[in-house]
Amino acid sequence: MAHAVPRRRSEAGRARGVQRGAFVAAFLLPATALYVLFVMWPVAQAFIFSLYRWRGVSMERTFTGLGNFAQLVADPVFLRALSHNLALLFFGGAVILCVAIAVSHAIHTEGRAARALRAVYLFPQVISMVVVAVLWSFVYNPSFGVLNGTLRAAGLGHWALDWLGSSRTALPAVGVVFVWHALGFHIMLLSAGLRTIPVEVTEAAVLDGAAGLQRLRSVTLPMLWPVLRVSMVYLVIGSLNTFALVYLMTVGGPDRSTEVMLTYLYEHGFKHSEFGYATALAVANFGIVMLLSGAVMAAMRRDPTEGSPA
Amino acid sequence: MRWWVCLVAGVLLSAGCGRARHAPERGASSEVEVAVFKGGYGIDFFEKAAREYEAKHPGVKIKVWGNPRVWEQLRPRFVAGSPPDLCYPGWGLDHWSLVYDKQVIALDEYLDGPPEDGTGTWRETFEPSLLRLGQYEGKTYMLPYFYSINGWWYDRFLFEKHGWTPPRTWSELLGVCAKIKAAGIAPITFQGKYPAYTVSGFLFPWAASIGGQKAVDDAQSLVPGAWKSPAMLEAARRIKELRDRGYFQAGANGMSHTEAQMEFVQGRAAMIPCGTWLHSEMRNQLPPSGFEMRFFLPPVIDGGKGDATAVCIGIEPWMVPAKGRMREHAIGYYRYLTSLPKAKEFVEQKGTLMAIKGSDNAKLPPHLVGAADAFRRAKTVWSVEYVQWYPKLGTATQNAMAALMNGEITPEAFCQRCEEAAEQARNDATLPKHRVQRD
Repeated sequence: MAHAVPRRRSEAGRARGVQRGAFVAAFLLPATALYVLFVMWPVAQAFIFSLYRWRGVSMERTFTGLGNFAQLVADPVFLRALSHNLALLFFGGAVILCVAIAVSHAIHTEGRAARALRAVYLFPQVISMVVVAVLWSFVYNPSFGVLNGTLRAAGLGHWALDWLGSSRTALPAVGVVFVWHALGFHIMLLSAGLRTIPVEVTEAAVLDGAAGLQRLRSVTLPMLWPVLRVSMVYLVIGSLNTFALVYLMTVGGPDRSTEVMLTYLYEHGFKHSEFGYATALAVANFGIVMLLSGAVMAAMRRDPTEGSPA
Repeated sequence: MRWWVCLVAGVLLSAGCGRARHAPERGASSEVEVAVFKGGYGIDFFEKAAREYEAKHPGVKIKVWGNPRVWEQLRPRFVAGSPPDLCYPGWGLDHWSLVYDKQVIALDEYLDGPPEDGTGTWRETFEPSLLRLGQYEGKTYMLPYFYSINGWWYDRFLFEKHGWTPPRTWSELLGVCAKIKAAGIAPITFQGKYPAYTVSGFLFPWAASIGGQKAVDDAQSLVPGAWKSPAMLEAARRIKELRDRGYFQAGANGMSHTEAQMEFVQGRAAMIPCGTWLHSEMRNQLPPSGFEMRFFLPPVIDGGKGDATAVCIGIEPWMVPAKGRMREHAIGYYRYLTSLPKAKEFVEQKGTLMAIKGSDNAKLPPHLVGAADAFRRAKTVWSVEYVQWYPKLGTATQNAMAALMNGEITPEAFCQRCEEAAEQARNDATLPKHRVQRD
């Protein structure tokens, strides 16, 4: 009798807990089910299919174990494609971060130029990638493109090149568009981050005599650290998963000089009917993205504003 | 990642669904489903023919559907084991893989049967050189409908204005190119972003012209050494010569087919290699007056062994899936589509050439007359088949072609690269092998 009451109370509590659990589950379940069905399950299937030789036109397939992966690590074109992705990441990423930091600072001030910049910086980001690619193909067109037209008008006719048609210039030309398109998003991230820096901190820094680069290095960047980390992860994902831009502008050519992992994947799956190998490429792409994102997270884990660990 | 998740999800989920519920998209069980590629010729012709067939066969219902990316929907249907009853997938689907995986049936039994009207067999109503392109190990898996002819094009008005004539031989080509260049126009442009055009427009015609058709047949059939034969090497050297003389339009290497064709249509380049679809592809960009495109065969190499009348053609085949359920009427409908009256109707309405004998007696549009004449006169008909047989070799040779056109590799290095790629295809036991068939 003495402990009957608490027990009854705990039963009621448990019942309420179960009820709340069911309530929460009811909200989570549809999303989870959809996620499992449309994301997890296909990804799991991709892992399975990467172990087969499969033409992708029927359920006929031959188990080859890790054969596709053995072929992959020895595939010079895959390595070359990966190097192009990494070039986009390091060179494109460096430019994006530097420009994004500068521009987000610039639009943080008041003034007509800043207001105008605030109004337009996100434009490239909202244009569909297909339109971006077509637009820039016109810019680069050797015959009537704006770029060569400007160069010729400026008396620099010998600089007017076949931008997308030459192996030397094609990747940098695509890289410029990659930067142009991604810039707005990173400016948005960083300028949102800038707004979260308390005015007191910047004011204190100014009072202490920190100005210009010193303030950027010692105050702004450390305070932006979590945002920079997110920005870097997005850069990794964006550059390693580039597809539409390259496919539409150069199809990976000329002579594979702009081939990236996903255009190579597409070629194997849809042009060569090697879906098993294409899925192995997808799995490798997945692994590389995870690895590099993880590396960025780990390298930038320590928040510099939190002081050095004891 | 998002991209390939969607891809794999699409293919695999539809596979899963298909296995669970057979043919979920099907309507009534007596309905014949026909999926067609909606290219420049549309699908209205096939829809109208379906109504006519239904009128002749009461109780049969034919559903024709299609779009410009129909192959993307057909692939998961094939994987799921619930394909339509008759397919014209267009150029985006690897037809031969369907044959290797036994997803389409051999049609010889029907071809040896009676045609839609008249006497003889259905087989005899087709141009044999086109029927051959759908054969593998002696059986016919794919049937041609319309076909295109690959050649070179010029603007009649531009040439008349300057007193130029379309070159028939290499020496005439060099002569006219010098004049065109002097007039401030680029003599030749090409679709550099898709090097397949330069293989069918320059390399193969000149290799065949120099060494005889066998030089190209052997290369396509993976005969050892064929990709670096003297004829192939000389053809590559001729391409380099044109490049070195500055006869190719500067910047064409990076141009898509539409960009290069635009250069031609707008008169900034005088000649371009392309198939007979060029006119319909550029229909909306043609100048309202003062421009008329005309066809001519690629100039032959003086003193070469090849047949100067040889014509390179291409087809977009139709096929009957093995797992289709309304096979008899699917084939019956196709037989009706290929009857002479329907074929002539197609030629007149769509302005293209048909694989049915006698259909070119219809009224041809002016830009096709030259091509049709060339086909009628041709003693040799060939097609670029190796790209469909060995897609990987196709990619490798096209990439090498891009490098050659760019001046980044020598003709010798070009041949070496192609031969190495052919060697890989030869040694790949998983690749079924084909041979070019000649009568």
